[in-house]
Amino acid sequence: MMITRQGGSVGRIGRVTGLLLLVVLMAAPLYLLVANAFKTERDILESPFGLPADGFTVDNVAAAATSTDFNVLAAYGTTALLVIVVNVLSILATGPAAYAIARGAGRGHRFVLLVMLAGLFIPSQTIVIPVIYVLKTVGLMGTVPGLVLFQTALTIPTTLFLFSAYVQSIPRELDEAARIDGASRLGTFWRVIFPLMRPAVATAVVLNAVGVWSDFVNPRIILGPGSGLYTVTTGVFAAVSKYSTDYALVYSNMLLAVVPVIVFYVLLQKRIIGGLTSGAVKG
Amino acid sequence: MPPAVPAVVRRRRRATGAFLTDTVMIGPALVLVALFVLIPIGIAVYLSFTDWDGFTIPPSLVGMRNYELLVQDPEVVRAAAYTTVIAVVGTLVCNALGLGIALMLNRNTWVNTVMRVLVFAPYVVGPIILGFLWASILGTNGAVNSVLTASGAERMPFLADPVWAMVTTPLVIIWASFGVNVILYLAGLQTLDASLLEAAKIDGAGPWVSFWRVKLPVLAPTVTLNVVLAAIGLLRVYEIVLALTAGGPAGTTQTAVFNILTTSFSRSQLGYGAAQSVVLMLVIIVVTVVLTQLRRRSEEAVAA
Repeated sequence: MMITRQGGSVGRIGRVTGLLLLVVLMAAPLYLLVANAFKTERDILESPFGLPADGFTVDNVAAAATSTDFNVLAAYGTTALLVIVVNVLSILATGPAAYAIARGAGRGHRFVLLVMLAGLFIPSQTIVIPVIYVLKTVGLMGTVPGLVLFQTALTIPTTLFLFSAYVQSIPRELDEAARIDGASRLGTFWRVIFPLMRPAVATAVVLNAVGVWSDFVNPRIILGPGSGLYTVTTGVFAAVSKYSTDYALVYSNMLLAVVPVIVFYVLLQKRIIGGLTSGAVKG
Repeated sequence: MPPAVPAVVRRRRRATGAFLTDTVMIGPALVLVALFVLIPIGIAVYLSFTDWDGFTIPPSLVGMRNYELLVQDPEVVRAAAYTTVIAVVGTLVCNALGLGIALMLNRNTWVNTVMRVLVFAPYVVGPIILGFLWASILGTNGAVNSVLTASGAERMPFLADPVWAMVTTPLVIIWASFGVNVILYLAGLQTLDASLLEAAKIDGAGPWVSFWRVKLPVLAPTVTLNVVLAAIGLLRVYEIVLALTAGGPAGTTQTAVFNILTTSFSRSQLGYGAAQSVVLMLVIIVVTVVLTQLRRRSEEAVAA
């Protein structure tokens, strides 16, 4: 008895110590990110881990928010536009396709699934060079539509597998009923099936929004510095690389860039974690 | 009144109609994926045999020159070796941490919910910000060195010394990545049948035995998923390195994708970059297939 109880308490102490260590390791960098954005440059250098008690200042954040070059706030607009347009296009293109594939059983359907499976495993960084070739050929290099089309294409394989798995769980009797009422296949999908797919759509939107939001390579290469257009990631990269020795500016720019994500994350953490998990599992 | 249509014709018409609606429904998605994912794979192979500079269309063919070049290019070889080390070590550590921490957080308490949110936070913040953040923490005048010098100690060259940087970089990458593995292992543990553990307990299994004999076998598919995802993700690691070290000092922390993008866009050698991309793509496909096959064998062994 004594031994087991001792073993149990040793295990408990070990577990608590481990968890505490983990909290410190995960939270400390995020704490620094927030705290140092509200300190003076001298405070950051002298007491980086301290609270901004003496020198609390919003000057740096204000300066970063109103800065005229690589303004991260202005980049929100570009990123938000990309997130919305890519999500809408992705659902418009993938929804009907997933429905047709889930309900069909022909050789053509299996071929399309195979194509999508290939798309699932190709990392976007390895095809960005030939994609530039494609965009140059069709005259969309350096444009927002070019970037949007590429980012949308990248979302399609995962979204399609998520959607078609979900459609398969919806009884076929609903299709039959709609067809007897005279609805076309496309009409059946949008009016009967799609409204039932809300959980799968939410998952896809979360997955694709995080993907587009954090995409750095594609906007940087396809839009390029010449376009003058910055997303949050390319904007904060440009700003921080330029002022990398000025910690006050670095921390405040980083803070501006993460505030929206952190707010969304804290509010929707269940949905975001759940969505990304099922996306990874299905994908 | 419409003329009577023979049943065979009617059926054929319906089949053509179904084919047409299917084409309309699948078409846009298929065209986009074909145009921006599948055809580019072919174009990458084509470009890898050319000297494309990013402007001249069509580029001129140079045969196997890019491939001959890359096997003896010290920068490419070093980046490939470094990326391999990151992928192997990172996959092992991320999975050990992922599974270990998931086992600790498996019960549903508010502490565990907070921990889950915290552990997964790096994924949401994104690699560019994380790289810059750790550079501000570990840089020469960064937070840690400020504390060290204030307490009279020497500065540590976490990112300034080549050897240090080559160790620090994978640690930061692991810090940024393992949260996903924790979450995926937690999802896998949810599928664990409580009665199995109960039965093992009644049979006298301690925590150690029940982990190896009950939990791990049930988790086999989750392990496969985590190993494959971690390996693929680490083989293409780039953004966090760019923000953390910019590949330095002296190019020691350049990864494969880092090299591909520098070759292509800073030096305008997109043909050479395409050849490196093709090799990386092949490596990723081979790693995925081999890992899945190896794991399938052990999953089956467990099932038997």
